[in-house]
Amino acid sequence: MSSKLRDKRLAEVNASAPPAGQVTHLETVAFGPSLAVERFRFGNGLELLFCEDHSAPVIAYHTWFHVGSRHEREGKTGLAHLFEHLMFNEVEGRKAGEFDRKLEEAGAESNASTWLDFTQYNVSIPKDQLPLLVKLESERMSRLVLRDPQVKSEKEVVANERRYRVDDDVEGAVSELLWATAFDTHAYRWPTIGWMADIEGFTTEDCLEFYRTYYAPNNAVLVIVGDVAEAALLKRLSQAYGAIPASTLPLEDVRPEAPQTAERRVEVKKPTATEKLTVGYHSPAMGDFDHPALSLLSEVLFGGRASRLHQKVVRELELATEVRAFVGPFRDPGLFEVFASAREGHTAEEILAVIDAEFERIKTEPITPEEIARAAARLELSLLAGLETVDGKASTLGFYEIVLGRPGAAFERLETTRRITASDLLRVARRYLLPRYRSVILVRPDLSAESTEEAAQ
Amino acid sequence: MSIAAVVNLPPVSGARVLLETSRALPLVTVSVGLRTGALLDPRGKEGTTRLLSRLMRRTGGGLEPHVIDTRIDSLGASLGADVAHSTMVFQATVISRSLDAFVDLLVDVLGRPGLAEAELARLQRETLAELTDSLDDDRGIARRFFRRRFFGDHPYGRSVSGTAKSVPEITPADVRSVYERTFVRDNLVFALSGDLTEARASRIAERIAEALGTGPAPGDATPEPVPVPGRRLVIVDKPERTQTQILIGCLGSHTRDEDHVALLVANTIFGGTFTARMTQEVRSKRGWSYGAYSNVPFDRRRQTFSMWTFPKAEDAGPCLKLELEMLHEFREKGVTKAELSWAKRYLVRSHAFAVDTAAKRVGLALDQTLYDLPEDYYARYLDRISAVTLEQANAAVQNRLSEADLLVTVVGTEANIGDSVRGAIENLSSSEVVPFDRVD
Repeated sequence: MSSKLRDKRLAEVNASAPPAGQVTHLETVAFGPSLAVERFRFGNGLELLFCEDHSAPVIAYHTWFHVGSRHEREGKTGLAHLFEHLMFNEVEGRKAGEFDRKLEEAGAESNASTWLDFTQYNVSIPKDQLPLLVKLESERMSRLVLRDPQVKSEKEVVANERRYRVDDDVEGAVSELLWATAFDTHAYRWPTIGWMADIEGFTTEDCLEFYRTYYAPNNAVLVIVGDVAEAALLKRLSQAYGAIPASTLPLEDVRPEAPQTAERRVEVKKPTATEKLTVGYHSPAMGDFDHPALSLLSEVLFGGRASRLHQKVVRELELATEVRAFVGPFRDPGLFEVFASAREGHTAEEILAVIDAEFERIKTEPITPEEIARAAARLELSLLAGLETVDGKASTLGFYEIVLGRPGAAFERLETTRRITASDLLRVARRYLLPRYRSVILVRPDLSAESTEEAAQ
Repeated sequence: MSIAAVVNLPPVSGARVLLETSRALPLVTVSVGLRTGALLDPRGKEGTTRLLSRLMRRTGGGLEPHVIDTRIDSLGASLGADVAHSTMVFQATVISRSLDAFVDLLVDVLGRPGLAEAELARLQRETLAELTDSLDDDRGIARRFFRRRFFGDHPYGRSVSGTAKSVPEITPADVRSVYERTFVRDNLVFALSGDLTEARASRIAERIAEALGTGPAPGDATPEPVPVPGRRLVIVDKPERTQTQILIGCLGSHTRDEDHVALLVANTIFGGTFTARMTQEVRSKRGWSYGAYSNVPFDRRRQTFSMWTFPKAEDAGPCLKLELEMLHEFREKGVTKAELSWAKRYLVRSHAFAVDTAAKRVGLALDQTLYDLPEDYYARYLDRISAVTLEQANAAVQNRLSEADLLVTVVGTEANIGDSVRGAIENLSSSEVVPFDRVD
């Protein structure tokens, strides 16, 4: 669309919009070789990323809030996640549960997620159902009803989710322990789902305060991808969200983590048949220059069956059933997490020794061009495969917008990855993969006694 | 968009070829489906077909596994196999610039599978270790015990992955025999989508088919399962569980049943969505379980109807009791007119997301062919849903679902839940407690 035509259409939209609904076009952002994303801002600060896509008669409608577990405090952990659950409950003028019931009747697929840096609500809907969705989503941004019985019931649901994902799940429990061990001050040290005692202790007033503080249009980004014309969409959004006032957002009480100076090691007993190992090295933030290189190095070492550590640990030495790694994609520095599940008769220490030897090797011997190309091709396929649906596109745009402030950064990153050299990998290996920066959790199987945790050193 | 966008290309050497071209992304998906699956595993050697599929992926063309893995990754491709009781599908995705080189590899994997004995032995060791790992997955344990106890000696009761007892018994000759019987042209269905033309799709299918042998497809002689009478309970005892995994089930539906679609619609109301009765009663009103759903899957023979919840240990008995009462009410009173209208609107409108990409549309066409669904199953799916009446939905529930012949499987710590779980089931005809690591 030409800028002249867009200006004319925006003028038409703004002519009947309330002040908070006045919309401005900010920029056009390339999203891969064939798509473009338009960024708009409404008078109340609500941002919109819109990608017109007529590949199917459906629309993905995501609402991303700049609030995650990093915005919580000790004693109130898990509030962002509990709140995500409550957002599906009751809205003024509608019965409890009506939000979901109406969306399902409209054929929608909807879900939500909370993580360290954000909370996001995603709905995909047949295109002719868009008016209903805009109404429901704008309503719950400002007119949610929170009552004691709903909060009590949802706390039970979340407690059960925690039992399922953490308390009765070895990997979930160990990952939680790793982050709590590796971080002393930053809010990344507590789990997104929250500690059980905190979940049980939340009051309705806690939830109301959280809603008033963070659920404001100027703390949200709408990401809409699909089969809808821009002008019609803007008009509808302007009318629906234009009545919601902006809020004064609190200053985030960020407490940067001091550099770790010595390895931390914890042993834990769990009701599992074999030993498990998880290791977390402090790693750079997603926006750091080193993050793409460390991610590529992780892919070389752990990505797929051709990777070095899979070849060594799973195939050659048959020490483990699997070994994998993940570089945290967060706004602040996170962890490069490694996980391995030992085979019967082998120990977590045996696996750690092999990983250590490989990590020493990559600090002296350059990674080969073939390995770099293999890892880059895997990352390219992963990106493309995630863009098949409108929901996949919206998820990618929203994630990069909320973490980096650049919705098209997925493709920028791909280009960056293609330029990464063996020297870059040498640099990040030497900078981050040092024993003094890591925490190690060793899981010992115990199918009879109570689980215990003890610091080994 | 609908499955009608999928083109039936001229058959290649007897094999059906399905295609939908899409230029939306520079990707091509290639699925090679077989009309046979793990039901052909020799008795006592469960897991043979799955081992075969993994072995082919590792030793195709006589290559070393590392060479194949490196080549697939470097081409920007993925390749895996899904083995079910009645079917096997090799699923591949590749960045379109690498399609030709990838097809060379695919021909090797499918037509010259290598099947090196040393790699089979390694794969058996890996599989045994994975079976041990799977004991950490309580939901997986519940499903495994449920299937085994529900179907008993019927082939659907057998494990696709194999067991600690069966996997070591599998020999190279067993694997080769299943390959030779099943990888024949008449047993294949090709399904392709994405950035390629009809001519190119046909050539790919031809190259793969020509690499395979000829001969009759094995067919499927599986008998219909017969329900075990009575209300049975299996408690799978696992230490230190704060939570339980509960599966309740009876025989379900067959796609050729006249009331199949009516049962699907009724199930949607009972436990098929987030606002269905089960979620409302178990999760929203009582907070007892993070999830609460019911399910009516299909296969070539009748499958199960099952209900799934995972309450904490203290709530296991009350939750189970509530679910049984809900099932009773579902059968006795059926669904309401308002619920039926709602469910039909949900199913018809949400179908948009089953067909919103070329890969999904081709996938449905592939399922329709592999599972011998009625030829117009998906073409008329929405019409059939819209036509379901209240009487048909309620009759389907009454006729197909049973409260008398029911299996309840609960994974949890027996010392904490045993009494309350047994007390929740009226007219219990049998009850057993099994250690969680003793699945046979």
